[in-house]
This record gives sequence, structure tokens and C-alpha cells, in this order.
Amino acid sequence: MPSRAPQIVALGGGGFSTERDGTLLDDYVLSLLDAPRPRVCFLPTASGDADHYVVRFYRRFSPACEASHVSLFRRDQGTGGVEDDLATHLLAQDLIYVGGGNVLSMLGAWRAHGLDAILRKAWRRGIVLCGPSAGSLCWFEQALSAFHGAPRPVRGLGLLPYSNCVHYDAEPARRAEYHRAVADGMCGGFAADDGVALHFRATRLEQIVSSSPDASAYEVRLRGRRVVEHRLDVRYLGAPAQHAPEPREPPLGAMSGAPPSVAREAVAA
Amino acid sequence: MSARAPVAIDERLIFAMGGGGFTMEPNNPLLDDFVLSLTGALEPRILFLPTASGDTSAQINAFKARFAHRHCIAEHVSLFRLRETDRPLEEIVLEQDIIYVGGGSMRNLLALWQAHGIDTMLLDAWKAGVVLAGLSAGAMCWFEAGITRSSGPPEALAGLGLLAGSLTVHADGEPERLPAWLAGVRDNELPGGWALDDGVGLLFRGKRMERVVSSRPGGAAQRVDAIAGELVRNRIEPELLLGDGPSRALGGRDEAVEELRRVHRMRRGLGRGRG
Repeated sequence: MPSRAPQIVALGGGGFSTERDGTLLDDYVLSLLDAPRPRVCFLPTASGDADHYVVRFYRRFSPACEASHVSLFRRDQGTGGVEDDLATHLLAQDLIYVGGGNVLSMLGAWRAHGLDAILRKAWRRGIVLCGPSAGSLCWFEQALSAFHGAPRPVRGLGLLPYSNCVHYDAEPARRAEYHRAVADGMCGGFAADDGVALHFRATRLEQIVSSSPDASAYEVRLRGRRVVEHRLDVRYLGAPAQHAPEPREPPLGAMSGAPPSVAREAVAA
Repeated sequence: MSARAPVAIDERLIFAMGGGGFTMEPNNPLLDDFVLSLTGALEPRILFLPTASGDTSAQINAFKARFAHRHCIAEHVSLFRLRETDRPLEEIVLEQDIIYVGGGSMRNLLALWQAHGIDTMLLDAWKAGVVLAGLSAGAMCWFEAGITRSSGPPEALAGLGLLAGSLTVHADGEPERLPAWLAGVRDNELPGGWALDDGVGLLFRGKRMERVVSSRPGGAAQRVDAIAGELVRNRIEPELLLGDGPSRALGGRDEAVEELRRVHRMRRGLGRGRG
């Protein structure tokens, strides 16, 4: 069996977690899977394994998928979803969907249960990894996390050698905070609005899709001593506009390559 | 404002419960009132950390229900909900009179505290005289080791080590922990320590165990050590707590505690039988 390329779909926000009526982003992720009835496992760790979140996951995914979840908090009460060996179960999935919440808490709990190593292995084996918010930040080298005070850089699992910032449009101060972090030494990376998904194949940003026609994604990096921000092309997954251009451009280059078509360039101190 | 001077070792209190308090005894406030009585403050600030449960609203609501109408200023910190407050964690932790840690997964509790740097904040709080209290995972965490079921079967796990020895909880309510703990102590994989029934709490002054109290008749503590490869088990009868609610808050801590002790001495003198 040919080995599958590692894939990560990092959502700036959206999917079943927050888009009650829209299924565009989740459907996009499912379209990447080969199986007719894919195995999808939900990790709600970042929410503290919130019951309502787990229920919403099953509502969305159990009709078309073999859905399961892993709770790291309820394991001692026999309600942890999967009871057998975590590694065996996770490595048998087609998709591992990581929920939103607090990224620091999630990474701490993952480490304590050895999930960081399992997820790394799953990624290398071509099991698709995805998630919004904390479920996006965790895959990157560094992430900007806002929790109890000023946002600060957090070290993620480092599968993707960039930084990441989510809900970029949701909080007015977020852009300035991300630029400042990059200026202060955080590695360059990608910011995504709510409703935007960054699709990486291996460590290359291959495509950006969205569930909202207005949502954007940006590449932010240090050029010399200045932070520069490029707006990236986003493919809206909804009904095509009247004047929809034909086939979209080829996959976006990696960060070191030619800058993707620049619609706007912002400069920060 | 977060810097607080350390207090003498015998002013540092930790109250470790084998089970009980507002999450397990919704109709019995004795242990929680005892916790409030441990601080000299007339209206103590009490912070609940529901971390070990994943910050379930069930625990948070039970905390509010228990403490909202008592003489205290009650709040909680969630490590999962984003942006509940902009105050730095350290400031919140160090301005308390009491920090009360809920039960759940001991492994997750310690991992999350470490991820957020709360373990060192709690050490500072203890040294500054903030009363540390908790049940189950929130009790074992203060010791060198506990017995967790965080991954299913009972297994030993290192705690923060503020207190010497090991602790196992729910000795009567979840009997499967006890054999794992006893085996660990016998084989010298765990230091000797205490096993607590639900409703039973140990009060430590500094590193010394000072009192054993209980919210209900029947429960007990056991001190267990391995001596020359043999387990030596000693049952410790707890003082049964009595409700004296409001008078304590009005009268301050010493009077109330003294009164409680007098009553207990009296009752023991009368040879009260055990259930």
C-alpha cells in the first residue's frame, strides 16, 4: 500500500465547533479521506473533554463516519470513549479531529498521556490531522495563545515549522499581538480568520479554503527587521460567485518560495 | 502585589481529604466549613481549582452552591475556558487565603499545573501561609506520591512532594486502589503514608500531621509503613466534625476550633461507640 503524505488542516476557527449550520470546512476535510466510511476520532482535550462538545461531534460525524472520541479526563470513570490502547486506536484512524479550547492545557495533558508522540506518528503515517483554534495551534512550532493576560508564544508539537495565529479577525488586537511576537523572535507563520482552513501537505501549505466569502489568511514573517504580512489567496467553498475565475492558481509555495499572490502588504514595527 | 512574605513552617496548613466536601457531600458541609475555619481571615478568599475534572461545570456549580452564601469570597479558575479573566494566574493564586483543589485525574491535574506554572505558584502560596486543601486527586497531589486511576487501573504517581509520604484516597469507596497502594508501600516503591476513607481529612501543620477529622461516623484513616518487608498498619480514629457553622465565622477561628476540641474531648470521654 502506497504511503500517504502527511496532511494537516488547521482551522482559524469554524467547523462543527462553531458553525452550527455550515458543514463546508468539515466536508472539505472529509473529502481528503479515501475510505467510504472513514474512521474519525475526536480529541476534546483542549475543552477539558466538555460533554456538549463531544455530543456535537457525534451529531456531525457519526452519520457518515466511524466516529469515536478519546477523553483523557474520564478514563477513570469508564466513560472515556475509547478504552483500549490509545496508540492502537489512534493509529487506526483516517482522521484525528482536535477540538478547540486551551492549547497549553491540551499540550500538557497530551504529554502526560504520551499523545504527543502518538500524534506525531499518526501524522507521519498519513492520518489526516485537523482542528480549529487550539486544534490548529498545536501542530505548529510556535503559536500565539491568549489566556489569562497578554497573548504569548507557546511551543506546539512542531510538525509544521511555522508559527500560527487563529481567530485573526475576531479580536481587534490580535494582529498587532502577532506582529509583535514575530518581531520579538517568534518564527514566521500563518494567521487565519475564523472560517478559514490552512491545508498542509507534509510541511507545505498546499491550499487555503474557507466557509465564508470574506475570510482571509495571511503569511506573517520578518523581512530584515520589519514584520511583513501578505494576504494569501483563499478558495471559498460555498456557492461560486458569478464571475468566479476558472481553476484556481497552483498550490501556494512554501514560505521560502516566491510569495503567494499578494493582495495586500502590511508592515508593522 | 503578588509577592507575599513566607510564613514560619508551622503556619503552613494543608488539609487533605480522602473524599467528601461539596463535590461528594452536597448535603454535608462539615468538611468545607472546617476548611474555612483554618484561616484567620474573617471573610477568607477561597479559590477553587477544578483542574483535575477538566473544569466541569458540575464541580464549579457545586462549589458556588456551597460557598456563595458562606462567610468567604469564593472564585474559581478554569484552565480550559479562554479569557475568563485578564488577571495573571499568579496574582489570583497568591491573593487567596485558601486554595481548594477538586478531584478527578491526578495525572492531568499535575500535567496541567506544570504546563501553566501553577505548581510553583502553589508552592509559593503554601510558603506564604495560604491554606491548601483538596480531596482525592486534590489531596494526593500535595504528597510525594498517590495512587491514581487516571489511565484506568490504579497506579502510583509522584505528587508535588510538599508533604512527606504517600496518600491513597477513597479507601472505602473505591477499594481497588488500596491493594495497589499497599503493594507499593510493602515493596518500597512508595514511601509509607496514609489511606483515607471518604469523609476523612488529614490536617498538616508544616510537614507534621496534626489532626484527623471526619464528616461522618464510620470512616477512618490508616497509617501504613513497611518495616523489614512487613506492612505495619495502624487505624486512626478521626474526630467527628460537628456543625457549628455561623458562630465560627463570627467568633473567629481559635474560639471555634477550641470549642470543637472541647466537644470532641467530652464525647470521647463519654466513650461514644462507632457505627
